[in-house]
Amino acid sequence: MKITVLIIALLLSTVSVADGIVIDKIYHPYVQETEQELEFRAVIQDRQPLSPDNNQLYRFAYGRSLNDRWFAEVYLTGDKSENADFDIHAVEFELKWQLSEQGEYWADWGMLFELAKVIDKNIYEVSSGVIVEKELGRWSHTANLIVEQEWGSDIPDEVESTLTMQSRYRQNQLLEPGIELYMGQDTLAIGPVIMGELRWGSRKKVKWESGAIFGLDRKSPNLSFRLLLEYEF
Amino acid sequence: MVCATASATPVVEITIKDHLFYPAELILPAATKIKLLIHNTDPTPEEFESYELNREKVIVGNSSAVIFIGPLKSGTYPFFGEFYPKTAQGKILVK
Repeated sequence: MKITVLIIALLLSTVSVADGIVIDKIYHPYVQETEQELEFRAVIQDRQPLSPDNNQLYRFAYGRSLNDRWFAEVYLTGDKSENADFDIHAVEFELKWQLSEQGEYWADWGMLFELAKVIDKNIYEVSSGVIVEKELGRWSHTANLIVEQEWGSDIPDEVESTLTMQSRYRQNQLLEPGIELYMGQDTLAIGPVIMGELRWGSRKKVKWESGAIFGLDRKSPNLSFRLLLEYEF
Repeated sequence: MVCATASATPVVEITIKDHLFYPAELILPAATKIKLLIHNTDPTPEEFESYELNREKVIVGNSSAVIFIGPLKSGTYPFFGEFYPKTAQGKILVK
């Protein structure tokens, strides 16, 4: 436990240096064997002090579990802003690793690995991080601590990191309220989220998440709206 | 049946056969962490799912899986098999 705390403290010392849109999905450390999913994510930010206004990020993904511990997902990422039309600009490959059974230890642990390439520029990004979730009654508290390395001839090499946290109340399957906190480069933001899932038939369900995240300092986007739709089968 | 040693988490076994849970009703102690050992004897996968327990776990055909639950408050916690929800149903009574 002391080693875990030390690692988190060391990683936290680099928090606040991640480029781009920090507000996005918060990962849970669980993998379901045989599961496949189609995913759509959108983040729309308004009144940003440091980038073109009305910045929008979209992700389209297909994922499937490799076994009961690993889940792989491939993304196409697009963006749009006041100054630029919509464009698919990056491909990403992601692996999630479930480290412990849910409820086995004090908290549930996982790891995330990602490799991204900007399509028409020499920019690469590799990231990895820790996912931890703690259940307390009907509350589930989740944290993602992600460290990223960017390199390539079109970007200065740099190490960045983000810390994101979510607390959700398991009210019922259709409707779970929660709150999320995001810390990264030029972003310190918090806001309410609402999520849930709708299932039908044999193992078919749609998960959804939506949130309005408000900046807490002058550098942060004033308001970020995020949406996630996930079809699992 | 709850099996435990002095220091280990108590183990409770559940079997899936012909898309049914055996036993379909379990009585477990409150405030105790339990290790469910689920054997799927069917050739097809099944998913143990319970919103009330905050657990879901796929058990592929002819294999076993472990699910940790609790410590729980007294009450009734239904569970079902997501692949065959009409037949695979059960509940845990915590007292």
